[in-house]
Amino acid sequence: MALAQTYKGDALTLEQGWHMPDRGTVGIAFLIVTESALFTIFVVAYLVYIGKSLNGPMPKDVLDLPIVATICLLSSSITVVFAEHALKKGHLGAFKLWWIATIALGLEFLTATGIEWHKLIYKDHLTIRTNLFGTTYYSLVGLHASHVIVGMVFLLLVMGVTFAGFPIQTQFRRVRFLSWYWHFVDAVWVVVFTVVYVVGR
Amino acid sequence: MASIDYPLERPRPKEGEFSFSETLYRWVATVDHKRLGLMYIVTALLFLVIAGLMASVMRLQLAFPNNHVVGPETFNRLFTMHGTTMVFLVGMPFVAGLSNYLVPLMIGARDMAFPRLNAFGYWIFLFGGLLLYFSYIGGGGLSGHGSAPDVGWFAYAPLTSKAFSRGASTDFWILGILVAGIGSVASALNVIVTTICMRCPGMTLTRMPMFVWVMLIDSWLIIIALPPLTAAQVMLLIDRFLGGNFFNTQAGGSAVLWQHFFWIFGHPEVYILIFPAFAILSEVIPIFSRKPLFGRAAMVGAVVAIGFISLGVWAHHMFAVGMTSWSNTFFAASSMLVGIPTGIKIFNWTATMYGGKLRLDTPMLFCCAFLLQFLVAGLTGIMLAVSPFDWQLHDSYFVVGHFHFTLIGGLVFGLFAGMYYWFPKATGKLLCEKLGRWNFWLFVIGFETTFIPMHFLGILGMPRRIYTYAPDRGWDFWNLVSSLGVIAQAAAIALFIWNVIDSIRSGEKAGDDPWDGWTLEWATSSPPPEYNFEKLPVVRSSRPLWDLKHPHDPDWKFEQ
Amino acid sequence: MAHETHHGEAGEHSEQTHIEMPAPTFWPMVFAFGVALLLAGIVTHWAVSATGFVIAVCAAFGWWHDVIPHERHEEQPIEPALRPEPILVETRSVVRLQLGEGGHRRRIPEKIHPYSAGFWGGLAGGTAMAGLACLYGLIAEHSIWYPINLLAAMVIPDLGQASIEQLRAFNGLAFVAAFIGHGVISVLVGVVYAVMLPMFPKYAPFWAGILMPLFWSGLVATTLDIVNPAMNARISWPWFVACQLGFGLVGGFVIARSTSISTMQAWSLAERAFLEAPPRDEK
Repeated sequence: MALAQTYKGDALTLEQGWHMPDRGTVGIAFLIVTESALFTIFVVAYLVYIGKSLNGPMPKDVLDLPIVATICLLSSSITVVFAEHALKKGHLGAFKLWWIATIALGLEFLTATGIEWHKLIYKDHLTIRTNLFGTTYYSLVGLHASHVIVGMVFLLLVMGVTFAGFPIQTQFRRVRFLSWYWHFVDAVWVVVFTVVYVVGR
Repeated sequence: MASIDYPLERPRPKEGEFSFSETLYRWVATVDHKRLGLMYIVTALLFLVIAGLMASVMRLQLAFPNNHVVGPETFNRLFTMHGTTMVFLVGMPFVAGLSNYLVPLMIGARDMAFPRLNAFGYWIFLFGGLLLYFSYIGGGGLSGHGSAPDVGWFAYAPLTSKAFSRGASTDFWILGILVAGIGSVASALNVIVTTICMRCPGMTLTRMPMFVWVMLIDSWLIIIALPPLTAAQVMLLIDRFLGGNFFNTQAGGSAVLWQHFFWIFGHPEVYILIFPAFAILSEVIPIFSRKPLFGRAAMVGAVVAIGFISLGVWAHHMFAVGMTSWSNTFFAASSMLVGIPTGIKIFNWTATMYGGKLRLDTPMLFCCAFLLQFLVAGLTGIMLAVSPFDWQLHDSYFVVGHFHFTLIGGLVFGLFAGMYYWFPKATGKLLCEKLGRWNFWLFVIGFETTFIPMHFLGILGMPRRIYTYAPDRGWDFWNLVSSLGVIAQAAAIALFIWNVIDSIRSGEKAGDDPWDGWTLEWATSSPPPEYNFEKLPVVRSSRPLWDLKHPHDPDWKFEQ
Repeated sequence: MAHETHHGEAGEHSEQTHIEMPAPTFWPMVFAFGVALLLAGIVTHWAVSATGFVIAVCAAFGWWHDVIPHERHEEQPIEPALRPEPILVETRSVVRLQLGEGGHRRRIPEKIHPYSAGFWGGLAGGTAMAGLACLYGLIAEHSIWYPINLLAAMVIPDLGQASIEQLRAFNGLAFVAAFIGHGVISVLVGVVYAVMLPMFPKYAPFWAGILMPLFWSGLVATTLDIVNPAMNARISWPWFVACQLGFGLVGGFVIARSTSISTMQAWSLAERAFLEAPPRDEK
């Protein structure tokens, strides 16, 4: 009996000090790990096929550095952090403002990608079937763009419910996870940019 | 979308008083990890029977030279669907099912970290499997050729290009596996997060049951290794539907790149499949030897080592494609390196049994057979890791014998041990021990008779995937022996299924703790209530139940 | 999941009547169905994809409603009937064996023969074997040098092509080579015998003297073609086995006569490291 009581006492101290990591945080971290594995394969395929195309157009002939789009996407990572901070402090107005800025920057990136693709397809006649460069370029950039679109859908959803009057500050955790995902998409763009526009040219 | 409101306190009918539609609702809409786990395992068993029947037809075809039970096209479809089903629709759901059912119980949690994601994972896996099998109906596709996929389970380029694989059967292979893969990744993510975040008070990583450790590393391998397959399959889809050139050699693409991508997934996948057996053995052997697991820290270290080394051995499947000698040397060496942690595990299981008070119940019998058979499989694996040896026997029946020794002699025997061990927990009834012994011995005899001759056939020069052979090659006898073994194996599986059905109906009541266990799942009732534990338990050692059963001699006095 | 404030021992009862569990929902299933259809449309018809898309979007909203603003729970009543059986306490106490205590992880054999016994046994066995081999040479080829020359052929390849007459004649170099080779191998095998002898069951000299030479002969029979083709071509197997048996019996007898010494396994770590005086042998 005495033994059982010491056991209980230990249980009490254990209980006060027993903290497990937040499951959302760990979940999003490992989601990013598995997504990175997916991107790695596409990046490797791109790297392997650099300079292996049998016919033109070649990257150096048709690719321009997407400076503006890159700046937009990378700065959207900053605006989303500001939005997150505003929400944490409960400044709903500032949150909405920074959130809209993030969406606008993301949309600008997608538009720039769209314009670039339009130019490549109709002016330079580079399609996904033209050569290896076309295949790997559209796949890698397209995979990234699809991730941007998914992020954009969620960003828009958050904006929609916020303007509909939903108390978004109660969902601070989930907003933060979304912002992490957005940072991940940005980080991937840094890799894609380096591989496609710097190394690949 | 209208949301459905559930009354907070519904009168809860007793088990067996549900109407059919209610029962259906309780299973289809469930987010309970135990129900989902059982659904995974039952689905896996169904696919196991289907793929086993395919194997039986192939063995029937190969029993005699110049046989004509099935034609070459059908044979190609058979081995493709057999391999694909066994890996993706039997092995993977077993991983998911076992970890789903047992991990929360063992770490003292009430459910998985993401219960709804868990349900999603099961259903998308099931729909993926059904999509793959839909190819038997829809595989003709647009141009009316083909039925089921016939490109082999690793679907080498350029065989999968539009030119060589007409119709839609290959597309069904790609999409079915891709969809099922989403489920595997979802469930693996869930296991990782559950293990990291949901452990009950006191359950530190060092006290975590070995089963949970192995499943954690297994899930890590899944989330690292499956995306490469998905990526490669997306590339293949781009090639087939949008005219891409990834694997189109005429446009400068590389067929070998597919092999690299496939095996970057494919070799870790082998470890993903065998890990559940490791996990089961690490629980069953100590319980039936009445000794704690020997060298726990080394066991954890070994499994973590495998989790990393196995990511760097993939090209040993490709010694015969003509890589540089440096690549061959590197991958031969790294493949042998994996043998070290695997050897540690074998030694430690044996050392756990050494000097123990052995109880040779059915689960333990399967474990003993595992140790021997997996050892043989590991040794033939080391042989094949020697690249000049592999050049001789690549794509021969020796390889078929080798990996069936790992996957049946290893994995399936481990799974049987696990099913006999945890069946009382899941159902409250014991499986019949007498039938279990029949099951064991028939399966051992059948297994050895079928797969030992395959090694001989490989050395005699019989290649894989041939649908028939001439009588003058000297392969008749061993092929016949190999085919005869199938009868005993099929009988063993049939006995097992009968045992399950009969034991659920009228089996002996198991009680909560039939094996005198030490891990937390035996502390709750059999079958466990939906909430698993009324009070979340507090854990002070790696054998919490031992501590409770032996208050004067608890483990926590000796650990750390 | 609700934060659990009451912890207890495994299987302990709680005062609560209900436990919050995630509510059942079929939206994940519908969502999975939608995604599967969406992808299946690629290979069947775009309409399938469109249907899948609509289903997936609807299900996504349904799922959304399940988790936002709060994850939907249902109260599971605690059913006393489902409570686990009480855990039985084992009243027998367990005494832990200390290191070095009798019977604890005893390694067999506990007593071994000294290496010196192996050395002398090997020499004795080697002598017996050489004597038998020379006897064979005298009887079969009327020359005691014949087996010696054959043995030396292992290291002197020229002897492999030698005629019978040359093999019968004395050859100094061959004699030295054979003498050294035979002596070294005999001593090594003798030491192995000494190590192995305590592991055999009863009547160790018999097992070691009869069985091991037979195994050894079998091993030589399969490999002799590679190591010494000249000897392989001319060997008389009955005599060879007889020589091996002679070695085994004589060597085994000599080794078995030696005084056994105990291993250090019962000593404590300090004693093994010679920090303390080792315990005296009882004998």
